[in-house]
Amino acid sequence: MLDVFGRRPYLVLLVLALLLLAVPFLPLDDYILHILTLFLIFAVFATGWNLTLGILGLKTLGHHAFFAIGAYASALVSHYFGVSPWLTVWIGAIAASIAGIVIGFPILRIRSMPHVAIVTLAFAEIVRLVFSNLKEITRGELGFWGIPPFNPIEIGGTTIRFGLGNSFGSFAVAAVMFVAIHLLLLVLLRSRAGLTFLAIRDAEAAAESLGVRLAAWKLFAFGISAAVVGLSGAVYAHYVLILTPSSVAGPEMLISLLAMIIVGGVGRFFGPLYGALLLTVTSELLRDFGDYRMLLYGALIIVFVFAAPAGIAGLKPSLRRKPHQAASEPAEAV
Amino acid sequence: MSGTQLVELILNGLITGSIYALVGSGIALVYGTTRVLNFAHGELMMLPGYGFLMLAVTLGWPVLLSAIATLVLVMVLGGLIQRVTIAPLLNREDWAFQVVAATIGLSIFLQSAAQLIWGEQFQGVPYFFSGVAVIGEVRMPWQRIAILLIALLVMGLCGLVLYRTQIGRIIRATAQDAEAALAVGIPSGRVHTMVFAISAGLAGTAAILLSPLVTVSPWMGASYLLKGFAVVILGGLGSFGGAVAAGFLLGLIESFGVAFVSSEWSSVISFIFLIAVIWARPEGLFAGRGQ
Amino acid sequence: MLRLEDVSVHYGATRVLWDVSMEVGAGEIVAIMGPNGSGKSTVLKAAMGLKKPSSGVVTLDGEALQNRPATVRPQRGMSIVLERRRLFPRMSVEENIMLGGYARKAAEARETCKWVLDLLPEIKPHLNATAGKLSGGQQQMVAIARGLMANPRVLLMDEPFLGLSPAMVKTVCSIMQMINERGVAILFNEQNAKLSFSMSHRGYLLESGRVVLSGSGEEMLDHPEVKRVYLGIREAAA
Repeated sequence: MLDVFGRRPYLVLLVLALLLLAVPFLPLDDYILHILTLFLIFAVFATGWNLTLGILGLKTLGHHAFFAIGAYASALVSHYFGVSPWLTVWIGAIAASIAGIVIGFPILRIRSMPHVAIVTLAFAEIVRLVFSNLKEITRGELGFWGIPPFNPIEIGGTTIRFGLGNSFGSFAVAAVMFVAIHLLLLVLLRSRAGLTFLAIRDAEAAAESLGVRLAAWKLFAFGISAAVVGLSGAVYAHYVLILTPSSVAGPEMLISLLAMIIVGGVGRFFGPLYGALLLTVTSELLRDFGDYRMLLYGALIIVFVFAAPAGIAGLKPSLRRKPHQAASEPAEAV
Repeated sequence: MSGTQLVELILNGLITGSIYALVGSGIALVYGTTRVLNFAHGELMMLPGYGFLMLAVTLGWPVLLSAIATLVLVMVLGGLIQRVTIAPLLNREDWAFQVVAATIGLSIFLQSAAQLIWGEQFQGVPYFFSGVAVIGEVRMPWQRIAILLIALLVMGLCGLVLYRTQIGRIIRATAQDAEAALAVGIPSGRVHTMVFAISAGLAGTAAILLSPLVTVSPWMGASYLLKGFAVVILGGLGSFGGAVAAGFLLGLIESFGVAFVSSEWSSVISFIFLIAVIWARPEGLFAGRGQ
Repeated sequence: MLRLEDVSVHYGATRVLWDVSMEVGAGEIVAIMGPNGSGKSTVLKAAMGLKKPSSGVVTLDGEALQNRPATVRPQRGMSIVLERRRLFPRMSVEENIMLGGYARKAAEARETCKWVLDLLPEIKPHLNATAGKLSGGQQQMVAIARGLMANPRVLLMDEPFLGLSPAMVKTVCSIMQMINERGVAILFNEQNAKLSFSMSHRGYLLESGRVVLSGSGEEMLDHPEVKRVYLGIREAAA
């Protein structure tokens, strides 16, 4: 567990929350707030995916489908039915969660990683194609714009507005989601549920022999993971206010998120945060060099897999007992 | 539906299927022998596509020479990729996923590099077989029929090598029991490299056959990668013959699907078919016809 | 001829062999006995190079092999019959046997094949059968044939009697004697003390990854420690 969470995860989260709280008081321009907002949204996305990939150990490559489902579900319902985005983001999360459980079923029985990877990839592609082909509803690759931003909130005499251009409000929503989701997940994962997930990751057969009902737990993890990712997608939709199937469900999204998780550290709770921060910032800096962005992501993934497979989170100098010390204790093979 | 239409549907399905079979059988060969899923396999299609373009169009070499040169080059490239980006990872505990991640990174890197080098314009290679075959009322350009025939030839050749030559036996032995193969002295590292090279050759063949019809672009391979994976799973993971059969099957399914639904849904049909098969029969449709 | 000196093997962080030392002289039959999990299989794998020792030396005729890959062993005259046969299941018996001669030149392999098939005539009618479809006993003979194709001076055998009928056990036993009469040394694993020590020149008793006893076949048969472990096995089975 120490590996996954570090030594004082709640403290780390508190510090992050305080830092975020301080941001509005700093003289930062809107563009920086925009980058931070994107970082926060993608960090939640990455953490949600890491729940399945790194902590449960199920090597899925299709979570961007849940991002897209959350985004489109929320956007479509709020646009066509006039429902407030404050409500529809939860619809998006639920829709994504249901999709997660639906695709979770076939995957459950599969023990081999290639099957899981390929089936989830295929699922993501189906989602992308469906959104792309239902042009009357989603306008396909032309882009679905006109997504309503979050309804303004009145506090005291001030009105806080949301959506692209209203950087403070958007940042606030993203920050609240970031802290809340990480807190909830931290509580969940530090509990028996988290131990079960890790047990399934590290020794599925042993876990099963101890009475763990694998199928139920996997579905549970999958559902939560999809819900978190779907929520981030919905918030994203009501921030950028325009969606295209390729941008949210296409390979670029997959690569970006995969890069974030690998660079940050698969299987470590805070890993995706480092990856999301580094890559969101880099991505914006390279905005003018669009073609080089993916080149860099590809190179980063390769470099990190080779040189730092535990990601940035794994590079931190730690005070914990080093693994090879364990070998000196006689551990006999049974 | 008339008889002619039926024949054309079947023919088109087989032609599309032969590309899927070429791509999928290469992936299956690699997976069956080394348990590695190569996500950069699509680029082993894209790069020879450009290579063939450079040689046949830019340099104006004769088609056959360009094709052979391209195949040789891509096979060397395949072996190189295996040595440099995959072999070093195989000793690690989490090697399966790390290889997947590394090859995904490589794939996107190569696609972006190709985009930067050759730009986004789609470029074409002129037909190398001209004319239209007419059988009864069925009309089909020779270029398209050639895809089916040449693909069958190449895969048949591979099958021959696999099942009738010493090299093939070495490969199959490594696939069936890697440790026992080591124990009789078969150098598995070299077998892995060789198998990668062969799979690159299969992918390169597909690219060359497609190049006059589909135009070469940096994302040429990516669209076939997922179909290739689907074919491998349908055929029973690791089975060369299974993948070939599944490739043709998928091509036929898409061809018939498109007859009833507009073409933009063809891939959706294929992938739903894939998920349905996994759900019902995880070991694949043709499992048992292993190497 | 074959020597393991202070060989230790780890699986990850778990230590499985603790400074194991063993010797096989030319033409000897040597048995390794021990209960399940004692590390018997690992000793053979370490000798064969299928598992790299974390420390210690493996020498064949003085040449240190512990850092060399498994593939050099057949060339040097050492081959292995793996636990549970491990034939190439979807290849024919003939292909399996021919692959055993991979490390040898074609002409030499053909010569070897002749005497191997003479030694194991029961295989001849099954040459074209698919290896995976044979019975356990038949597979064992094919596995032995495959191991012999490298013309080894020392043959390692991992639990050659596992899962065989008593009649088959006798057959394999006599085959091993015949192989040994040709001058091939044999190092094999077995859980049955009586069986292993009665047919071998020397033996080792392995427990929890350590050599606890060694001696000639007769000495081992009469040893109270062996009887304890042997009886231990009998009690557990009762």
